[in-house]
Amino acid sequence: MPKVKKKRLSFVIDMTPLVDITFLLLTFFMFTAKFKTEAESQQKFFIQRPKVTADTSKIPERNLAIVKIAIRDTVDGVVVNDTTYNYELINETDRQQVWASLEGLPDKFKVKPMLENISLDLLNTVIRNTRITNPKTVFAIDADRRIRYKWVWDAMEVMRKNRATIFNYVTEKKSGF
Amino acid sequence: MSGASGGLSAPERIKRGKHSKRKKRKRIGFALDMTPLVDITFLLLTFFMFTTTMAAPQAMEMSIPPESVPIEVKENELMTLRLRTDGKLFWNMANDEPKPVAIKDLRKIAEVENLRPEVQNKLITVLKVSEDAKYGDMINVLDELNLAEMKISDVITQKKDDKGNPEKRKRKFTLAPLDTADLRLIKGL
Repeated sequence: MPKVKKKRLSFVIDMTPLVDITFLLLTFFMFTAKFKTEAESQQKFFIQRPKVTADTSKIPERNLAIVKIAIRDTVDGVVVNDTTYNYELINETDRQQVWASLEGLPDKFKVKPMLENISLDLLNTVIRNTRITNPKTVFAIDADRRIRYKWVWDAMEVMRKNRATIFNYVTEKKSGF
Repeated sequence: MSGASGGLSAPERIKRGKHSKRKKRKRIGFALDMTPLVDITFLLLTFFMFTTTMAAPQAMEMSIPPESVPIEVKENELMTLRLRTDGKLFWNMANDEPKPVAIKDLRKIAEVENLRPEVQNKLITVLKVSEDAKYGDMINVLDELNLAEMKISDVITQKKDDKGNPEKRKRKFTLAPLDTADLRLIKGL
């Protein structure tokens, strides 16, 4: 059977609306994209935050001090697989003052935005010094949902001792709503 | 963009009757190949779509009482929640026997107990958490209490006090460690 070649009619699709919409979306995402802070991009651990439904308040961005309780696989290259306390202070001028006020802190830590793997005693000192430097500082506990509650309780006791009795738990919104 | 769409606009229809001869006019407009532009745009779009964190962290506010000053509490105005190491939750009013409850059912109980007329707006909730319980479970319990709070404060603020002002919801909540006496109470449940 001879093949009958059908003449194909070439056609052109107008791509203009497509490009319009794509550019619109692109600019939207470009402007809403929030990039990580200095400390976050240097952070070597990932916190699985607890998921909640009830609260909708956003975490304050200024004068914020975060106690990060995370499960870390390594500290300075050594495998630990353990829970650690880390402390981050957002306000840069406060941070310089507080970090400088810590005696016996090696210089290489003083330039970092976050104090990593610190002891409860040191946490106590930093929180106290933070409170002295800037009493308006808002505290937050950013803890992994898998850790033992004791770690959080101890951190809360330290804050209670320093009269930081109002603070925030950093959580994540449950998806599905 | 108009240059690109020029090739797509309708041909001119002036002086074109049924029998008129088609006269091809040379168009001066040109077509721009938009494919690379679209490619790059889509690439950037997908990049920004994937890197944007939509799940911004949320804050759950918490206030704890300052360093232990013993407070006298009426027994019947106390609701105790105990969270055990294995993630099981127990609740009881005053000195009742602790009863197990699933965390997701706590909301109903908290609403009912908080809205009982005799203890309304006076009830103190104590959450006792075992040191070895998971932090995530403890937050789930708090979340349920916060959910219950919506209805509770709704009902209470609709009431009027003696002066005709709407009543204020006073939420009383505290955290405490789970001690051995508590463990004995919920043992075997």
